[in-house]
Amino acid sequence: MRALEVDARRYAWCRGSALWIVGIAVPIYLEDVRGAVQAEQGALLRWAARMLGEACAVALNVALNMDRPIPSPTVRGSWALERIQGHRLWQPCWELIQGVDVVPPEVIAERCEELVEDVRIVVGEMPNPLLPEGQLPALALGRDWLKLMDAIGEEPPLPRDWIRPT
Amino acid sequence: MPPGRFPSARAELAEEGHLVADGGCFGFPQLIGKAVAMPGSRREIELQIERFHGVDLEQVLGEIEYLRDAGDTVIAGGSLAYGLGNSLSDLDLLISGPTTVESSRVPLDHFLGSLRVDVWKLSQELIESSFRQVEQALAAEAELLGRFGDSYYEDEFKLLQRVAFSVVLDGPELEFGPLDCRTVASGFVMREYAERMRASALVAQVALRAGRSTAAVVNARLAVENALNAGVAQRGIPFCGDKWLGERLDAELPGLAGIYEPFHRLPTDLARDGSDFVEAALDVCAEMWCVELELDALAELACWHNADDVRMAEVGTDHFLLAPRHGVIWELDECDAEACRRLVTAEPDEGWRLADCDPVGMAMCMQLYEHGLLSIKWMEGIPIAALDADWETTA
Repeated sequence: MRALEVDARRYAWCRGSALWIVGIAVPIYLEDVRGAVQAEQGALLRWAARMLGEACAVALNVALNMDRPIPSPTVRGSWALERIQGHRLWQPCWELIQGVDVVPPEVIAERCEELVEDVRIVVGEMPNPLLPEGQLPALALGRDWLKLMDAIGEEPPLPRDWIRPT
Repeated sequence: MPPGRFPSARAELAEEGHLVADGGCFGFPQLIGKAVAMPGSRREIELQIERFHGVDLEQVLGEIEYLRDAGDTVIAGGSLAYGLGNSLSDLDLLISGPTTVESSRVPLDHFLGSLRVDVWKLSQELIESSFRQVEQALAAEAELLGRFGDSYYEDEFKLLQRVAFSVVLDGPELEFGPLDCRTVASGFVMREYAERMRASALVAQVALRAGRSTAAVVNARLAVENALNAGVAQRGIPFCGDKWLGERLDAELPGLAGIYEPFHRLPTDLARDGSDFVEAALDVCAEMWCVELELDALAELACWHNADDVRMAEVGTDHFLLAPRHGVIWELDECDAEACRRLVTAEPDEGWRLADCDPVGMAMCMQLYEHGLLSIKWMEGIPIAALDADWETTA
């Protein structure tokens, strides 16, 4: 048994957000990267790599430093970069956020894949609802997070009601 | 940064033949011609999904048949429908009709082999109501920015675009009476992105003054992208998310792609080149839209808004800033404490106008904004008429 040396609500909010607010976007960006390389869509590749770098930096910051709340999308990349300065993954995150230009597409894709692997080790397995085999496990994991959040009285990162109000 | 590295937006546009030679302010309002790209056809979508996935449209329609009520139409939108997608793009469908029973908040995913089909189901009444709300917002002077979704949750933009630029796959065309769906949908994206451009321009300059160079250059690049997205929408081109901006420009608007090119990559030496980068980006934006983006002018219109109930606590001679909802506590020195008092005593509905902030207050608020504890509110939006004098809606 190991005590987590952090307030329970902060831990659950931060880890939950790292996975569900930020982490869930990572497989989507990674898929955009792969699709762009296959279709030789350079502009899409640049955009997806940049967004992936930002999502990874934010997920790392939230998971490592337990920072909350997560700021507006326009400043969350710079906020996260500053807070993870000194971490070995700062450089690969920054390079993607800065913008990749003269590097061959396959190299960019490789950098993205490597970064995601490294971030997974810190943040945990990120749900991937984009794949048939990932969708139901992602929903099951989401339900578990809802229960944990309920148990400690914290707002969950996922909606409770999936029906749109009319 | 070498002088002249950043091209003039006006020169690029003139070269492409998009500008009228004379007539006051040069910018997008003077762009010649609109609606250069229209959605593809049912047959084009069919060919794409057959080529990429070996799936035909009848299979897709069969898979989602269970979601349809009597009289429902199936329409396609998104990147595959607009000729932008690739083999990993999903197919975005919308089911709607006059008697649709239930509307979903999120899309329902379906998988046919390697093809992922995202299906939204919304009543026609709900869609029409969304158009009406946006139409009213476009006619009003108040800020539109973020009222119908933000850059991470673009569902409302995409919904309106899907309907306005739809490709009917099965069923009758959706009818919305006198509503001009394409004008409303394009005007919505144009105004939202113009207001985003203004917001990014403000944050870039405040960040630069506060010594936050990464936030400054990131927002300068965003300002250019927002300006270009607004320009793409103004030409009546369907919008399907920020991620396709560069591909759109490369394929259809090379002149604008040339304007964008110097801003793809942020400078490496931020201390040396950050300020030039921000200045060049904002010059390009201002030139495109003839909108005032100088910090002093924007600071008159924007307020720091204490959205998260940030409070101040004094304990003996110590000063603290608290955000109880997030369990956040900051220690303040005397200077910050004075600025913080002004922030927390500002009228909640009005906020603290940026023009009234001294440098210490501005730097402190920027820091809190970067930590998600403050937001920025605008006293007025950018009316569509200020962007395009010829724009007309039915509102």
